[in-house]
Parts: sequence; C-alpha cells; structure tokens
Amino acid sequence: MNRQPTTMSRRRALGTSACGFGALAASAMLTGESLGAFEKVPTQPFHHLPKAKRIIFLFMQGGVSQVDSFDQKPLLQKRNGEALLFDDARQLAKTGRRTTHKLMDSPWKFRRYGETGKPVSDLFPATAEHVDDLCFLHGMHTEGVAHGPATLFLHCGASNFIRPSFGSWVFYGLGSENANLPGFVTIAPSVGNGGPRNYGSAFLPPQFQGTKIGSPGSKQLEIDSLTRDLPMAEQRTQVQLLQQMNAQQLRRRGGTEELDAAIKSMELAWRMQQVGPEVLNLSQESPATLHRYGIDDPTTKSYGEKCLLARRLAEAGVRFIQVNYGDNSANPAWDQHSNLPKHATHAQAVDRPIAGLLADLKERGLLEDTIVWWGGEFGRTPYAQNNGTGRDHNPGGFTVWLAGGGFRRGYSYGSTDEFGFQSIQGKVHMHDLHATLLHQMGLDHERLTFRHAGRDFRLTDVYGRVITDVIES
Amino acid sequence: MLPSFSIPVRNIPLVLRCIAFCLLALSLIAIRPSARADDSEKLQWFEKKIRPALIEHCQDCHAVDSEASGGLLLDSRDGWQAGGDSGAAIVPGKPAESLLFKAMSYENPELQMPPDGKLPAEVIAAVRQWISDGAFDPRRGEGSLERKSGLPVDRAQEHWSYRPIRPLPEELASASDWIDRLIELQLREAEYEPLEKASERVLVRRLYFDLTGLPPTKEQLDAYLRSTASNRYDQLVDELLESPRFGEHFARKWMDVVRYADSITLRGFVLPEAWRYRDYLIEAFNADRPFDQMVIEQVAGDMLPREGVDLVQQQRQVIATGFLALGNTNLERQDKTQLDMDHIDEQLQVLGSAFLGQTIGCARCHDHKFDPIPTADYYALAGIFRSAEAMDHENVSKWIETPLPVSEEEESRRLVIKDQIAAAQKRLQTKTKLLAKMEQTANQSQIARGIVVDDIDAKLVGSWRASQSVTGYVGKSYLVAETGVATEPLQAIFSTKFKKAGEYEVRVAFTPNSNRTSKAKYQVQHSDGTSEVVVDQRKLARGESWFSLGKFQFDKGKENAVTLFASNNDGAVIADAVNWILYEKGKAVPSRKATSKEDLVELEGLRQEVKSLEAERDSLQSKLSPQQKYLTVRETGKVRNIPVHIRGDVHNLGGTVPRGFLTAVKPSLTESLSDESSGRLELARWLVADQNPLSARVYANRVWLWLMGRGLVSTPNNFGTTGQAPTHPELLDGLAMKLKQSAWSTKALVKSIVLSDAYQRQSSPAQRVDGGYAEMEEMDPQNSLYWRAARRRLGVEAMRDAMLSVSGEIAHKIGGSLIKSGTKADYNYKHEGARRAVYQPVFRNSLPELYEAFDFADTSVSIGERPRSTVATQGLVLMNHPWVVARAKKTAKRIMAESRGVESESEDQAPSELGDAERIRLLYLRCFGREPDPKESSLLLGFLQTDGTDTQELEKRWTQVVHSMFASLDFRYLE
Repeated sequence: MNRQPTTMSRRRALGTSACGFGALAASAMLTGESLGAFEKVPTQPFHHLPKAKRIIFLFMQGGVSQVDSFDQKPLLQKRNGEALLFDDARQLAKTGRRTTHKLMDSPWKFRRYGETGKPVSDLFPATAEHVDDLCFLHGMHTEGVAHGPATLFLHCGASNFIRPSFGSWVFYGLGSENANLPGFVTIAPSVGNGGPRNYGSAFLPPQFQGTKIGSPGSKQLEIDSLTRDLPMAEQRTQVQLLQQMNAQQLRRRGGTEELDAAIKSMELAWRMQQVGPEVLNLSQESPATLHRYGIDDPTTKSYGEKCLLARRLAEAGVRFIQVNYGDNSANPAWDQHSNLPKHATHAQAVDRPIAGLLADLKERGLLEDTIVWWGGEFGRTPYAQNNGTGRDHNPGGFTVWLAGGGFRRGYSYGSTDEFGFQSIQGKVHMHDLHATLLHQMGLDHERLTFRHAGRDFRLTDVYGRVITDVIES
Repeated sequence: MLPSFSIPVRNIPLVLRCIAFCLLALSLIAIRPSARADDSEKLQWFEKKIRPALIEHCQDCHAVDSEASGGLLLDSRDGWQAGGDSGAAIVPGKPAESLLFKAMSYENPELQMPPDGKLPAEVIAAVRQWISDGAFDPRRGEGSLERKSGLPVDRAQEHWSYRPIRPLPEELASASDWIDRLIELQLREAEYEPLEKASERVLVRRLYFDLTGLPPTKEQLDAYLRSTASNRYDQLVDELLESPRFGEHFARKWMDVVRYADSITLRGFVLPEAWRYRDYLIEAFNADRPFDQMVIEQVAGDMLPREGVDLVQQQRQVIATGFLALGNTNLERQDKTQLDMDHIDEQLQVLGSAFLGQTIGCARCHDHKFDPIPTADYYALAGIFRSAEAMDHENVSKWIETPLPVSEEEESRRLVIKDQIAAAQKRLQTKTKLLAKMEQTANQSQIARGIVVDDIDAKLVGSWRASQSVTGYVGKSYLVAETGVATEPLQAIFSTKFKKAGEYEVRVAFTPNSNRTSKAKYQVQHSDGTSEVVVDQRKLARGESWFSLGKFQFDKGKENAVTLFASNNDGAVIADAVNWILYEKGKAVPSRKATSKEDLVELEGLRQEVKSLEAERDSLQSKLSPQQKYLTVRETGKVRNIPVHIRGDVHNLGGTVPRGFLTAVKPSLTESLSDESSGRLELARWLVADQNPLSARVYANRVWLWLMGRGLVSTPNNFGTTGQAPTHPELLDGLAMKLKQSAWSTKALVKSIVLSDAYQRQSSPAQRVDGGYAEMEEMDPQNSLYWRAARRRLGVEAMRDAMLSVSGEIAHKIGGSLIKSGTKADYNYKHEGARRAVYQPVFRNSLPELYEAFDFADTSVSIGERPRSTVATQGLVLMNHPWVVARAKKTAKRIMAESRGVESESEDQAPSELGDAERIRLLYLRCFGREPDPKESSLLLGFLQTDGTDTQELEKRWTQVVHSMFASLDFRYLE
C-alpha cells in the first residue's frame, strides 16, 4: 500500500498555465525550451558517459547483398557456378538438411577507396568516398529467415513476442532533446513485415512510441493530424477559446495533476503544430544542399528528401531517426530473389543521398555525436537462388556499417567465410549491435529495463554484449 | 544485474548456443598441493593451456557472477560432471562425445561456441588433448550448485492468492453495506475523512459511462432528475444493467483481457470470423451468463456436450473458443513444431493472465523464478493444448475456421442433399464422357465440311510452338503463342483459294481454356476488303468446337487469308484451324456427307441430358447455402503427454510429464484427467472449480477495477508474488465469495459495487472543503484507501461514442461484422460508420488514429489495465483530426437546426440572444451533463457574436464552440 508522501509538485497557478502559449517565440520552440509531454529529462540517468546523442538509422528494407556491396569475395569470381552444399537457413529450418547451390559471382566491380583502400562495389560509389569515416561490421548475424520475423527482430530484438522498438527504448532511456518534438521518429515506414510494431512502444508507456512521418510511396512527408486545413488565425482563436473554457472548468471543479497535464499537453500540441511544419519544411534549404542530397535528380529525390529531413530532425534534437528505404509489399525493395541486377536501381536511389547526409553531418560537426547506422534485416546468399539470377535471404552473415558517434573510422571488423555466406570471425549478433549502439548513447543494455508482467524486460533480453573493438578509444 | 527470469524461445541456433554449452569463469581456487606425481603433467597442461583459454574466451559471458546460462555450472569439476540442461559437458577421454568440444569445433551450425567466432586451432587442439587425457581438473568445488528459485510448490500457501477464499464474518455477510464497512476500517485507521457523496448530476453521468460507456441524453438526465422515487438511483442501476448497451460496454472491457483483434500483424491477414466471438461476449454479458460458464465455454466450449442443448446455445459455446485463436501469431515461422509450441505458449499466457492472474509463460524455459510454477507444470498444461490444432500448416500456416453447428434436421437435410449431389455428379460424369466422345466423332465429320486449313499448313510469323495439352483440336496438334506483349510481330496466316464464288461462313478452331487470351485478333480477307474480329479464346459455347467469325463474300480463283495476330495478348494465343463453309440460299452446303441424322438426334439428346443433369446438380447445390464458420481450434483426439522442452527449445527434449494443472493450487483435481480426452474441458472446469481460489478473486478484482478505477490488487493480471498484494484482502475475498454465491453473476457484482458509498463519492472535493483533503492527496495520491471516487477519463471508445451521441449520429444496432467485404489485408483500412466503437474492426495494422493516440489496449497481449498517458499527440488528434472536426460540424448543424424550435424560457430578452443561450444550455447538457454557469455562457455568447447574419460564418463559430467542448476537460474527464 502506498501511503508515503509523494513528491507531487503543487499545481501551477491557473491563469498562466491556461493561456500562456501565445507569446512563445518560434526560435525558442525550435530548440525546445520547456518540459512537457516529450520528456526532456532522461527517464533514467545515463549509465555512463555517452559518446553519441542521437542515431540516424538508414534502413535498407529487404536485405542488401553483402558480397555485392561492401564484403568483397574474390573466390566467388574464381569459382562462379560451382555447386556446393550450404546450410541454407530456410531449408535448415524446414528440413534440418543442407542443400546444394551454385555460387554466383557479383555482377559489380569492386574498387579501392580512401586511405584505407577499402574495396567497395560499383553499387555504392558515392558512399564509398566516405569509407575512411565508416566502421564496417562484416560478421553480422541475426534471427529470422523470412522478412517479417527478421524485420521485427532487427527493430525489437524479438520476432515472436511483442516488444518495444529500439527507438522507443532509446527515447525511454534518454528522453527527447527537444520538448516540442518527439524523441523517436520514423520516416516512411512500411506497413508490412510487422508494420507499426517496428516502431511501437509495446509495454513501454505510449509516449515513447515512434512518430511516423509520411509513408512509402507517398510524396508527402507529414505527421498525421499535425496540421489542419484552417487559417492559422482561426486555429489560434479556437485554441484560445478551448483554453478559456478549460480554465473555467478547472475553476469550477478544482484541479488535479492529470487535468493540468491535459491542459499542458494541449499547449504542447499547439506548439508542435507550429514547430513541426517548420522542421518538416525543406524549402528553405539552399540549392547546394538540395543538390548534395540528390534532391534535384528524380532518381535520388525521394530518399534524398528523407535524408535531409533526418538531418533537420537531428539538429532539432530528435534522439532516434529512422530513414526507411522500402515499400509496402511482402517482398520489399532490396529483396532480389530472381533479379539481382535490380540492386542497382535501389543503390542508385540511396547512394548519393547517403553520401550527402554523411558529408553534411560532418560539415556541420554533427557527425561527432550522431551515429549513422546503415543496414537491412539480413543479408543475401553468395549462391544463386534456384540456379537463377538472384540471391536468397541470409541471416547467417551480412554487413552493416556505422559512422560517427565514437565508432572507429575507416575500420572493418569481423568477416564472413571465404564465400561471404556465414559470419565466422568477429561475429556480431543483432543483440550485440543493439547493445553496442546503446552503449555509445550512454546506456547499459543490461540496466535499461522496464518492469512489465512481473519482471524486468530489456531490449537485448538475456543476450547481447558490447563490441568494444569497434569503439574509438 | 540481470533482471530477467523468463527466457523467451527463439530460433534454434541462438537458443542452443546458450543451452547446450556454457563455460563459467574459474574461481581462483588454489591448486591442491597434494596432486600426485603422475598428474603433474596433466596439471601443467590444464594450468598452461586450459585455464587461460577458458578465462580469455569464456569468462565474459559465463561467470558465476554474471549468468549461469544453459544451467551448466563449470566453476568446479563437479559442475561439468553434473552437467547442464543438455547433460554433461565433457565425457573424459572422449572429445567427440563432449558437448564442450563439439561446440568449440564449430561443426554443427546450431551448436557453436564461443558465439563471436571459432577459437584458434591450437586452443581447440589443446582442449581435445585435455579431454582425451581424461579432463584432469584440479578444481574442487566450493561454490554451491544449488540454483536460486522462488517460492516452492509445497510452500505455495505462504502466498496470499493460493490460499482458499475466506468467507466474510457473519455480521458482515448479511449486511448490505459490508463493502463500505470494510473500506471504512482502513480509512478510520488512517484517520481519513472520505469525501462526500457526489451530486446527482455527477452520479448519473458517472453511472451511464461506467455501465454503458455512453453519456446520458438530455432526456435521460431530465427523467432522472424529475423522478421523485426515493430509490431512483437503484432504479437507474437496474435500468442500465438491463440496457443492451451494458453488454456492449462490458464485452469491450473483457476484449482487452483476451487481446481481441480482427487481424494478424504479419501480412495483415484479416480474421473474418473473429467478430462472432465478440458478439458472443456482448450477448453473454447482456444475458448475465454466469461467468464460470463463460470461462468454460471460452476454454473448451467445443468439447461441451451438445445433446439436449438447444442449437443457439450449441453455437454460442463453440464460438466462445475463439478466445483460444485470437493470438497475434507468426504464421510464417518455418519451424512448424516451434510455431505450434509458440502458439500454445501464447494461449497459456493469456489463459494464465486472464483467469488466474498467473505469469505461466515464465515457466516455459525454467522453473518460475518467483512463483510456485515449475516447468513441469507448464508442460503439463501445454500437453493439454497439444492435442488441439490451432493452425493448418503450410508455408504460411492458416488459422482454423469450422462450420457452425446446425440443427439436426438441417444436418440430415444437408447430408441427404450431399448424397444427391454426389449421385448426380456421378451420372453427369458418365454422360459427359460419352458426349465428349460423340462430339469428337461428330466434329471430325463436320471438319470435312467446306474448306479446312489446319495449323500445319498455316504460314507463321514469329515464334509459335505446337501443343497437344488441351484436347479437341483439329488434326495432330495446335499452335501456341506465349502470353505477353511481344516486341516482334507474331502471326499465323491461314489461306485458301476458292473454287466457287459466293457467301462463306468463316470459322476458327482453338482449344479453349482459362489460360487463353481474351482478345485474339483475327483478320478476314474477303472480296469486300478485310474485317477484324476479336475473339475470347477462354471459352466456347457448349457443344461447339468452332467459333464463327461471320459470313463473308469470296471471289472465285482468288487466294484469301485469315490472319491471327498474337503479339498483344493477355493469355496464350491458340492457332488450330480455319474453316470456310459455302452457303447457298441461307443454308450450308455440305461438301461431304455429314454426321447421320440419327447420330445427330442422339447427340442432341445427350446434350440435353447433360444440360439437365447440370441444372439438377446446380439446384441441389443452391440448397446447400454456404455454411457459416467460426474461429476456433480443432481437437484432434490425439491425446498425449509431452516432454519438458529444455530451455523452451522444441528440439531439446527432457522427460515427459503427465498432463495436469497448476500444482500450487490444491487440491489439484488432476484425477479428472483420463487417457481418453485431452483434458481441456477438465482444465476449464478446474479453472472455476470451487477449490480454485484464483479465478473468482481475479474476476472480482477486474470488475472492481472497471468500476472503481483501481484494483484491490493493482496488478490485475498478476496475482503472483511479483504482483501487488490486495489493499483490502477481506474485501477482495468478500467480493469473490459473493460472486460465487450469486452463481457468478456479473450484474449482481456490479450492482453491489455501484450501490456502495465508496463508488458514489466525489472524485475531488467541492471547493469549500479544505484541510484534510490536501493531506490525503499527498499521502494517498493513488487513492488506495478509496477516500474519494476514481477520477475517470473516458476511454477512447467512450469518447468516440460520446461525440457520435452528441452529434446525433450514433446508430444503435447489436452485432454483426463491419469489415468491408473484400478486405483481404488490414493495411490502410478506412474506419467508417456510426456504429458503436465496439463493433469497429480491431485491425492490428490499422488502428484508427484516435485509438493510437488515446491509449487503446495493446491488441497482442492480455491487458488488465490500459495505460493512461497524457501526450501532445492527443491534443493534435483532438484539434486536427478530420473525424473529430466532422463530428463537431454535425453537432453544430444539429444544434442550430434544433434550437429554433425550442421555446425560450424568459420572454423579456431579445429572441436571437435567447436562442443562442438555449442552444448553449442544450450543448452543455449533452456534452457535460450539466448546465453552464453564467460565465461559461457569456464566454460562448461572446464568441458567437458576429457582425452579420452570415449563416456560414455562424455555423463556423458554432463548430468551433462544439469542437472546443469536445476537446475540453469536462468532456474527457468525469467528475
């Protein structure tokens, strides 16, 4: 029974709280000065000194092929077409047996880039210019052979149980840097393969769920219900009427913490309504910036806009920004089972925007404390699927890269086997990646917990370890 | 510190890597100096090669003070000898049989350690050597091998919830105010002065929302306030309990507990029959079906006897089992054994939370860390569900839908019809075969009529291939051009020279099939030029083997062609033959003797026969209306006990456990289980058995929570040792006992609670009160002593329904599916209509924005109490969502139209002003259940003041007024 006195703050005086929203300057709102619905104060104090303040996750939905992008395997060329027995994850789950497949060489050439001489394929020539700033994890492995489970696992650290998304954990752990904006935003998320669960807060309090901006296929990058088709002056009149009404009601019935909070959340909504469109508005960016992100080119425009928006959100203090490259189909964008050359279309759409984002962040000094995380839910097989011209899913080995936020620069960690199939050395499980990313944000994955249904839950369940080798000392 | 004690099961490799294998750090125990001389070499080997390797490669994850995963303790020789969940880690002398070595050698992809990569070859060789030499280990265990665990089963009674329900003391049991007396006890002890009874207006509004989820209409409010009966409150309670709106409201509350939804997240599959379960709940709550019966029906309604049970009830009890099938299942999971066990796990979790307040799922991988639920109990329960199939397995498995029971007469009628259909079908088959034969013969004679050019004589442009796949072709085969749009020209040209001028009918042959093109383009060359005919090659009229392109004139001695163009098609294009038949005086000229007249008669007769047989079959079929189905599981009758799944892994099995119930609850009643039945019905009965103290307590606590805003146990889904203890144990037991004594009547329980003083108090003090209030608020902000009424916030459904009520749009109709026909996936579903929220489909991928913003229950797990957040997105939705704006507009229109007819109360004021004031009063009564005070009235009157009489402007103002009211505190928070 709870009979200890609680540290409840006394209610604030009514009049100031009810109508005090009008005078706030837009600039103050953009940086977010007041506390409120989007908790600015960390829910839990830092576990240790953070190296990064925010994460931009460039999600390549469907699974990019590692051996065609960043994990060069010369042996594939030499032994192209050779039939070998593989631990085909799909068949293994179904039958427990290995299957024969033919090795397939990459159709793309690899060239060396940067001082580190890192080989990158012709799929990503623009990103390749930044290899000296990137930290490659070639020994990734994860769970789930199908998109649905693997996508959920990537986001929530679990595929079969309803768990909070990575972004929600970060938001919950650190709060938002800007009280007028949510701490977790996902740009154009797919409705498939787990859909909202991939940015849901599950049992964490609902304010920590991801706010969706736009959707795949739509040109509008908007937040639902953020704006209304009504002149600003009339909206202002209406909000004023509402708050006057609330003030009267509060005087009549007496106030409570919750009623105060409700009034405050209204004010915040009103402020967000004014700040939000400003942050979402890309039109004030210079032509040079638009060019840098490839927004002036129809091929790269869509993802370029999303990357630029991500930078604006990062500047405004959003903790976790996911930039999705995907669609709403059951076989998402990068899912080239039968037509590997199509990888080029997707690479063209994202390569320049990603390079633009990296350059822009670096120039603005944001890369120091921003982690850019690039990757998909799994990789692809080095062999041809059904002797065709595509590659199947591969959770057993793939590559992600990280930039900024205190990760080692121009560094490659771990490796897959000689064909690029299974991760064999410097293995990093998805849980480990989660743990490591949290670590850089100042959070200990074992202590970032939430009590639910009688026990403490965490993102990494009972697994995960911080990969210290990839952290800059 | 590792807080977790439930290890969810995941894909094999990861599970196994932690299950089968585990190395613990070696505690620094001094080497015993008495090691024998012949051991000294082995000792050196161990110290030089083995100990450092273990420390370097294994210590991070496998130390005593971190995590003893896999259940294997290795901090002593005894540890690896005793082994973990999968048995001993080392078989001395036999590296190949030692799990430790197997894992290190990375041979088996499911068993690889350490997880971040294979160890250097020399380390592996050293370990092999060490094991081969007998695994000499100088360490003698000092650490305890015993693992920490929670309350053991034999001491379960130490925890309050497993103890029997205590009856109320005599003097309380018979008292009508027993609830308040028990609450008062604690209030007095704490020296609290509870708040006074709320005003009548407040109470009416509270009662309407609590029992029906709707606001009282102005008329209902008036009627209550006008009533002079001394028991008008009691009367209202009875009235509302009898309202069909009660069942709708309470069903929705229970739907949270059972994770109700109409779709599955992955791929957005719609569960088209789930609504029947929802309607079952509404009917059951309205009929006040005993709750114990509802429990039995939901868990095992399909196994209840049907003899002597009326049909409607038969249907109800099977529909209730939808409870078992509503999980948000990962149907795509490829390991189907794992999928089955995951599904059972989900069922057990919901069943445990909903009825028992137990976190049973925690015992899947190991004994419950805190509660007296051993893993054996978990698999004893899981065994009961193992014989019920929840899915038909395919690549993407499919949930089970079963035809609803029908009456015996209907059943036998259907059987008779089915037999008749089968008989008709058989006759039809025979005749069809015969007909096909005759037609073939007849065709061949028909072919002889006129001029025929077969495909082998056709001139081809582009790529065609010969085929015989579909029979009925002319000659030896026919030609096929593939589906699609060809870039090259693709044509088949059939031409002939005419010996005789005149009118010919031009016919083409193709073997019709569903994969054919629907737009084969034929060009006919004739003496008047060319004509084009587009032909659907998917079908031909019955009995026909030619398609007529029409009649055309042809000149003597000229060569004319029929060309088939195939380059742009939506199916395979077939070129078989072309036929020209000369007509004279409107009649075909047979160039050779056709089929004999007798044969033709017989053929025609046969055709008629087939036709009438088909008609007979079709009419029989139409008597078999498609059977209605319900969502459920399928009992297979394959009764068996299942083994413990070590660490929850379906491929790592331990000893078999007999089916049973929770052993912590005594008596266990497992003797009711037999080898003949799975035990699900017995389980259902055990859940609500008199001896089981959990279910009645858990349900009584829920109803109390729904009405009082806070459970006596504040963790309604967790009555285990990690849950909260009841604030008022006697009260909880009293409610549970009364529930049982009233034959588990929900309505009786509701009534006793809402009649209490505790329910009827003010939620905040009227302003004149001071002093004690502030202190109570400080000391007991959660109101765990019930010194005030709960501060209610409308749930999202009530808020939505209230807006629809005020706008006058709400459509009250009970039951039925609102899922738009043709909805295959739930993505981007547009929720529409004015039915109550409870009837709107609950789509896991497409919850309405309003639901998302206002804390609708998570639809994937059992929810005992929804979160209650206050966030800015709520403000955004309330102010900007088009649905809310539309309701405000409707309400404004309604109020503007309506109040013109309303009589003004005072006659000495200007009529227009009076109208507005009266409208405002009406709005206040409808929205807030009260009159506006003068200041409120004047605020709105001022706002409505416009210069002109522009109706559009006026309507806009009214809309803004209503919209503000919807978003205001008094609409969303009850007093």
